Amino acid sequence: MWRYIFQRILLFLPTFIGITLISFLIMRLAPGDPAELLAGGGLAAAGASGISLEKRGAVDQALAQWRAQYGLDRPLHIQYGMWLKNLFALDFGVSFKDNQPVFGKILDRLPVTIKLNILSIFLVYLVAIPLGIYSATHSYSFGDQVTTLFAFILFSLPVVWAGTMALTFLCGGDFFYLFPPAGLTSIDYSPNWPLWERLKDQVWHLFLPVLLLSYAQFAGLSRYMRTGMREVLSQDYVRTARAKGLSETKVVYKHVLRNSLIPMVTILASILPGLIGGSIIIETIFSIPGLGQLGYQAVLARDYPTVMAIFTVSSLLALVGILLSDILLTMVDPRIAFGRREQ
Amino acid sequence: MSSKKFLMTLILVVLLPLVGCQAKDQQQTTEPAVGDWLLAHMLSDPEQLNPLTSNDGGASSILGYIFQGLLTRDPHTLELKPLLAESQPAISDDKLSYTFKIRRDAHFQDGHPLTGEDLLFSIKAIKCPLVNAPFLRVYYDSVVDARLVDQYTIQFVTKEPYFLNESVLGGIDVLPRHYYDPDDLLKKVTVRDLSRGGSGLPEEVKRFADQFNKNFSRNPMGSGPYKFLKWETGQEVLLERDDNYWGKGKAGIDQPYLYLFRFRVINNMDAALVSLKSGGLDTMRLQPLQHVKQTSSSRFESEFQKFMYFSPGYTYIGWNNAHPIFRDKRVRKAMTYLTNRNQMVKTILSGLGQVVDSPIYYFRPEYDKTLESTPFDPERALGLLREAGWRDTDGDGVLDKLIDGKKVPFRFEIKFNSGNPTRKSVALILQDELKKHGIQATVRQLDWTIYLDDVRNHRFDAMILGWGMSVNDPDAFQVWHSTQAANKGSNMISYKNAQVDEILETYRSEFDPKKRIELYRKFQQILHEDQPYTFLFMPKSVSAVQRRFQGVEVLPIGGLRPLEWWVPPESQKFTSKPTA
Amino acid sequence: MAVNSGRGEGYWSYVWRQFKRNRLAVMGLYAVMGLFFLAIFADFLANDKPYYMRYQDRTYFPIFRSYLVRLGVGSWPLELLNVNFKELDSQRSIFPPIPYRSNGIDLTVPFSNPSQTHWLGTDKLGRDLMAGIIHGSRISLSIGFVAVGISLVIGIVLGALAGFFGSWVDLVISRLFELMLAIPTFFLLITIAALLPPSIFLTMAVIGLTSWVGIARFTRNEFLRIRNLDYVTAAIALGVSSRKVMFRHILPNALAPVMVSVALGIAAAILVESGLSFLGIGVPADLVTWGSILNEARSNSFAWWLVVFPGAAIFITVLAYYLVGEGLRDALDPRLRGS
Repeated sequence: MWRYIFQRILLFLPTFIGITLISFLIMRLAPGDPAELLAGGGLAAAGASGISLEKRGAVDQALAQWRAQYGLDRPLHIQYGMWLKNLFALDFGVSFKDNQPVFGKILDRLPVTIKLNILSIFLVYLVAIPLGIYSATHSYSFGDQVTTLFAFILFSLPVVWAGTMALTFLCGGDFFYLFPPAGLTSIDYSPNWPLWERLKDQVWHLFLPVLLLSYAQFAGLSRYMRTGMREVLSQDYVRTARAKGLSETKVVYKHVLRNSLIPMVTILASILPGLIGGSIIIETIFSIPGLGQLGYQAVLARDYPTVMAIFTVSSLLALVGILLSDILLTMVDPRIAFGRREQ
Repeated sequence: MSSKKFLMTLILVVLLPLVGCQAKDQQQTTEPAVGDWLLAHMLSDPEQLNPLTSNDGGASSILGYIFQGLLTRDPHTLELKPLLAESQPAISDDKLSYTFKIRRDAHFQDGHPLTGEDLLFSIKAIKCPLVNAPFLRVYYDSVVDARLVDQYTIQFVTKEPYFLNESVLGGIDVLPRHYYDPDDLLKKVTVRDLSRGGSGLPEEVKRFADQFNKNFSRNPMGSGPYKFLKWETGQEVLLERDDNYWGKGKAGIDQPYLYLFRFRVINNMDAALVSLKSGGLDTMRLQPLQHVKQTSSSRFESEFQKFMYFSPGYTYIGWNNAHPIFRDKRVRKAMTYLTNRNQMVKTILSGLGQVVDSPIYYFRPEYDKTLESTPFDPERALGLLREAGWRDTDGDGVLDKLIDGKKVPFRFEIKFNSGNPTRKSVALILQDELKKHGIQATVRQLDWTIYLDDVRNHRFDAMILGWGMSVNDPDAFQVWHSTQAANKGSNMISYKNAQVDEILETYRSEFDPKKRIELYRKFQQILHEDQPYTFLFMPKSVSAVQRRFQGVEVLPIGGLRPLEWWVPPESQKFTSKPTA
Repeated sequence: MAVNSGRGEGYWSYVWRQFKRNRLAVMGLYAVMGLFFLAIFADFLANDKPYYMRYQDRTYFPIFRSYLVRLGVGSWPLELLNVNFKELDSQRSIFPPIPYRSNGIDLTVPFSNPSQTHWLGTDKLGRDLMAGIIHGSRISLSIGFVAVGISLVIGIVLGALAGFFGSWVDLVISRLFELMLAIPTFFLLITIAALLPPSIFLTMAVIGLTSWVGIARFTRNEFLRIRNLDYVTAAIALGVSSRKVMFRHILPNALAPVMVSVALGIAAAILVESGLSFLGIGVPADLVTWGSILNEARSNSFAWWLVVFPGAAIFITVLAYYLVGEGLRDALDPRLRGS
């Protein structure tokens, strides 16, 4: 078992290097110069009345100086090498925008994104599993058809639409005000509040974002559950259990459920990579300061260190997720051989 | 009001005289009272709060409450007044030396006295080539030396006579040396050494620059009326009133009344408006459509007051003057006739703007109001184009002309950046109008950094951009002088006019304001003839302010100035003093 | 395959019969066909040129002529160059039911509510929304085809190679799978799309380049399974070339589950594209797509029609493809037969 894990981790290495190389090349080869951006007044100047004429002058030497400071004038492969070397020392470099260590900036925002996604995964499993069970045990009934249709509808609902509609109609504005339109906490939130008050406030703020983040997966997961369960239900050993006289519920919960959960576990692994990218839209709509927003702004500002760091971190998370799910799978289902011997 | 609030107000009203605040008599609400918070809106997090290395507008508006300079501009008269200096500087006859006497009663927010040493340190920090502020540094290029005459007198030496030197020097943010350079690493090096260049500087200077760049992004400390309290990344920045402000109670110095400024970060304007309406914000700038459609209810009017003001700056279409089609000024003039600027202001800005015809701020004395604004007139445009040799000779619906022996169709590309709906709308409207008259324009939207790159390297036919200015005396050299077309300078359209060059050069060393106005009148008239840009409009801003704030007015210096606001005790909403 | 019929058509007509039993899937199919109709005939449904016009005693068919001009085989007569057909003093003209272009600017009616003249309202530059939705269907449909087409090609080729050859080829290609799975795809998409000049085809290509892994894995699994079947080992023993074995013998039988991925892939690609254009990336400025309308609607939420209708269009399209995909999956699944 440990040899297997070790093998897998070794195999991750080339994958990991590949990912960092891709992210490096994309950012560096793409047009757009972070130095020029700073000279022009940063990202804000894009929308504002324009480039400020105030603090400007002959910038060429200033730009050259700035680039030299960040090592941007060295050849590409040297830059990549240096970045990789620093990576192993857990040094992600400093952000171009504010000279702060990128690692710190990511740590700042990581809790928010993680909270959002963990709650989301929780909600998805909470809703999808019962739905899946119901669908599998009452296949083709009217209830099943309705839940199926409902699941399809949820999957097809574009997040951009649902989010904008929610913001328009439910968050103040011209219609109803049921939920706050932005942020994680209220204006006068204080750590001195009682736990109950604090929780209530956070839930109130997080409810819509988490719901929007999760609903699309209700469909997928419950369908998967349904198919998996139906397959198990038609197996011989289930028929045996029924023949033995076990009640239907016992059959379902004792035998079928355990075996159906296997594929659910593998799904977990595929959810992890989507954590960071998936929340960009939600974070944008609801002004939530998470990793997605940080990454997006960094791309626009050509903040190379930050972009590469986010790529790296999320890829690592994903690889860990894949490894975890593979391990869990082998633990739960011994039928799957290590190393794919049948090949 | 809830009973709790009523009780608090009662207590406050009774306790105020005991606490000894500014308000002398609580019954009179015409006297400014101390207290309450201001919840202001920020569209995005500032990048950092280091006064020298920070580069974004959001940061500079916050830092403006924390730091001060030797001189300041009177918000009403726009004149330069002494602030940290005792009086206007003494200027030498050759206009190269400026000597400032510093006030003796000024001190920083931690109580430490402010002396010439801090001034000297501030200019050294700016000039230090290893400090990460290259764009600020070039602004101070003309300063070649600075030295302390005595503990409270500092003398600056500049490279050449330039009438704006006084305001440049007066605008240096004074940084406390003991805070930003506790080990006095910059003591031995002189401003002259720093001006010379990067290599060969002593080790201490490198160490200073290193720690200055890294350690001071989130903890500014200056001499101004508001202290930095806290910064919750992505959420808000808090500034607290300095009870021991050195300028407290002194005549001629702005007094701070509000306990706390909370700049709340809300990236989305819709969400911000909702926050405003539900009490999460006290003031915000409204977008044109929000002003027109979403804030006219009687309920809104009873709670908020709206103020309208112009911001110095303008949007324009820049024609590449080196392009074969746009080389000809008749073509450029025709383009301006074909741009329906008034309609654009009405549609795109919902009327919140003003068409302009010159690069000078509309409300400055230098602006030439006698200029006849170019109307929207397709007939005249077509006449000019025909005169310039453009006609549809091959019946394909597109004008063409023989340029350098080749038949050139009137096709070109308008570039602009993403993230700016106004410029996009301008481009689309222009494209639509041009199509009707046989001119085919394509539009191209680019990411901001890529766009900047293209524009600075003159890779465009036409581009839409804007300049942000200030109410200070204008200096058009940077944008319009022919030498600025090279080296990625601000003369991105490659405009070259010898007469204009001469005017711009003479202007800089002209110290008589009346003569400067005359020079610029001539300058604007030449530009009007040449039409190197099609000047579009100057945007008008609308801000909504919660009615409980008093002392709110639009100032000539541009917009609103929360520093002067206060809330009568009976209307105060937030009464506790903030804690970190 | 549980049902072993000798001829290929037998299999597929069986699948079709199964599919028809699923009412929802059939509705989805009708909706997809409806969308195709909208996309193909967009110019005839919403256009500011008339079908037929009698002007100054001459007869014209402007819409047809515009096609000829675009193909380069026709040209506009002088009197019709750059004119606004609605303002011409014609003796008789028949306009399409929606007499507007999707990008026709009309500054006199910005943000108008749905009304008689503009059935679904207009946006901030007075562009008719109904026309925008009809023409936008072209983009949405092409996204599906281009993006999924690309991922299909990449996915099938890589999956086939991995499944057929096994050993180190599989090892390397599986690493590639892992790489694509681990990379935060949406983030990668945003990075690439934001940095390149906006072009709808580029965006579609990039979406295709980042979403082929599912198809590849399916293909690989199918190849792995089928490769060990008797008739394949026989073919190899007989000396048939690898390429022939892969593409003539295995691939046709491995395609069934891939079809499902195609339908679902189109649905997913449309959703991704709406996300990108919502963020303002990937769409050229003068092109009107469903996602770009939503993007502009974001800061003008009082214009609820700009939020509701384009979103509904995306929703219905995605739902239709999804229903078709799920219906196909059910129809192809041997384990569900006979239950």
